[in-house]
Amino acid sequence: MPLAVERITVFCFAASYGVALALEVWHHFQPRPIQRLLSLVFGAAGLIAHTAFILVQTLPLATPQGSLLFLAWILAVFYLYGSIHHRRLAWGLFVLPLVLGLVVVADWLPPPEGDPVWKSFHGDRVWGLAHGVLVLLAAVGVCVAFLASVMYLVQSHRLKAKAPPGQGMRLLSLERIEEMNRRAILWAFPLLTAGLLIGVALQWQRGSLLEGWDSTKILGGLGLWVVFAILLYLRYEVRLRGRQAAFLTFVAFGLLIVALLAPMHPFAQGGGPP
Amino acid sequence: MNLLLVGCSFHETPIELRERLAFDGGNLPGALLELNSRFEYEAAILSTCNRVELYLARLTGSTPPDAELVTEFLADLHRIPLADLRRALYQRADADAVRHLFRVAASLDSLIVGEGQIAGQVRAAYETAQKLATAGSTLHALFQNALAAAKRVRTETGIARGHVSVSSVAVDYVRQVFGHFDDKTILVIGAGKMGELTLKHLRELKPHRILVTNRSPEKAAVVAQGCGGECVTWEQLDDALAQSDIVLSTTGAPEPIVGRKRFAAVLARRTGGAMVILDIAVPRDFDASIHDGDRVCLFNIDDLQRIREQTLRDRKKHIAPAEAIVEQHVKRFLQEWKRRRNAPFIAKLMQDFEARRKAIVTQLLARLNGKLSDEDKAYLEGAFRLLQNQFLHGPISALSEDPPGRHTLLEALGKLFRLEE
Repeated sequence: MPLAVERITVFCFAASYGVALALEVWHHFQPRPIQRLLSLVFGAAGLIAHTAFILVQTLPLATPQGSLLFLAWILAVFYLYGSIHHRRLAWGLFVLPLVLGLVVVADWLPPPEGDPVWKSFHGDRVWGLAHGVLVLLAAVGVCVAFLASVMYLVQSHRLKAKAPPGQGMRLLSLERIEEMNRRAILWAFPLLTAGLLIGVALQWQRGSLLEGWDSTKILGGLGLWVVFAILLYLRYEVRLRGRQAAFLTFVAFGLLIVALLAPMHPFAQGGGPP
Repeated sequence: MNLLLVGCSFHETPIELRERLAFDGGNLPGALLELNSRFEYEAAILSTCNRVELYLARLTGSTPPDAELVTEFLADLHRIPLADLRRALYQRADADAVRHLFRVAASLDSLIVGEGQIAGQVRAAYETAQKLATAGSTLHALFQNALAAAKRVRTETGIARGHVSVSSVAVDYVRQVFGHFDDKTILVIGAGKMGELTLKHLRELKPHRILVTNRSPEKAAVVAQGCGGECVTWEQLDDALAQSDIVLSTTGAPEPIVGRKRFAAVLARRTGGAMVILDIAVPRDFDASIHDGDRVCLFNIDDLQRIREQTLRDRKKHIAPAEAIVEQHVKRFLQEWKRRRNAPFIAKLMQDFEARRKAIVTQLLARLNGKLSDEDKAYLEGAFRLLQNQFLHGPISALSEDPPGRHTLLEALGKLFRLEE
């Protein structure tokens, strides 16, 4: 393994994302193509360093730091894709703070102990991995829905204030933002359901179905599932839309953060399911 | 440079004269070809509703284009008294003409600063000259650089940001709410003239359906026929509102036709997403309090006018940075032009000195044959090359510092070094 790659720390990619965000903010006030380009370069550099860090370091998915860094990595890919796809929009202004926030919080947490994700690809630990990956992907959906909700509120505020359309922050139309929120939730809900069901099955297999039910992580995850179910019901049955749907998505995101920051996963504490 | 601009614009020339001077598809090619063949000028003509400008050039070293000849040509072509034309036309030469075109293309000289059409019109003028082969090396370089400067101004400043017509601002708002229109229904209420242009812009979005309603069914039928819409009776207004995504209201009703209470009932029946109401009627047709920026976005004529004025005010803030970009491009263009103008002379001067140095060194080495080692020979050749470079450094630097449009130094150096023959 090359020495330089081993030296990559969380600070390296956090700094890259930070510079990319600063350039986005600068671009918002004084728009010039060079700032957007530099922001993309720093964002891409951060993503490369982030990828190398995940590959080189042992990051167990079940720990708060591991899950936050994996989540931030997927959102950084989402940022880069969105910035290239929607070049004229203020995409980075919304996605980068979340990526940066997750990375910074992960850095404050104690370093993870345990096996890296890919070492779980064998034997009966595969189900534990499947549980972790499904919940992580659901978390990505929650984060995307949260970002869409923030964008929706900003765009809606601009429209309410009748701000000049061609000036200030450029965003997707209300309709497209709402579509993004809807799709993210529609994708996340089955993933979360499947992830939680696998988790329950693993607990049951361990012969301790009721053990650890009072942990913040599990309660947060279940709360998130309930909020998602309510959100879907309200959206499709009661036709809840717009700001109200955005606020409910914030609640789901809050529960996700609680679940992610919860100190330790019962599986991780027990070294994973048998 | 031998560049001349002769023209008139809305700044000083009344529309009556501009109309008479204007070139269209019919007389433009003939005029360009005649300027090119009769006077041997490179020629391009920019003719818009706000200006008519002739850009003319001749090769460096020949006589510059004659403004008086061009004025006579225009007077003759458009049958305008020469004296009237002399008073109306302005002239710019060389660097001033370059600066003028760059500012025009960047929309800094337009009636509405930052308007987007002028760059396209400059491009069209250049392309016509290119097609007819009346644009030579000078006009190619001039127009290409002007368009590059205009592009930079548009992308790097906010001078072209936003729209300045009420109908365009209305469509901009609609676009902020909806991302696609193939499933959208537009409802047109009334048949006011004010709404015609906005409806035209809305139709360009290719909506799924257009509904038209009016107190007078005959008037509704006329509007529906004009826009390919369907008529609905005035009594069905609430049903039509409940089905519609975009509403364009232009009635002449003396008081609001949809109050808060009536609209709440309509909203309760709606199954779709957000709704945009463009109320451009005076007096207003919809109660302004129904606007919430979420489910209902209502924009009335005052909102649209305010945005138009604000956009114009904001554009003014970007004039100074835009002027700075234009000036940067003008300077760069003039320097590049000078370099291109001087390049053949410098090459010739270098060649001449190279040949002389080689002849002297060969002669010297032949004299000292057998007395010098290879190292000494290389040292001697290097010393002569150094002397040549140091000697030429002064004249070449002075040439590049020579102001554009003057050829005194170039001619003097030609004479001094006997490079003219």
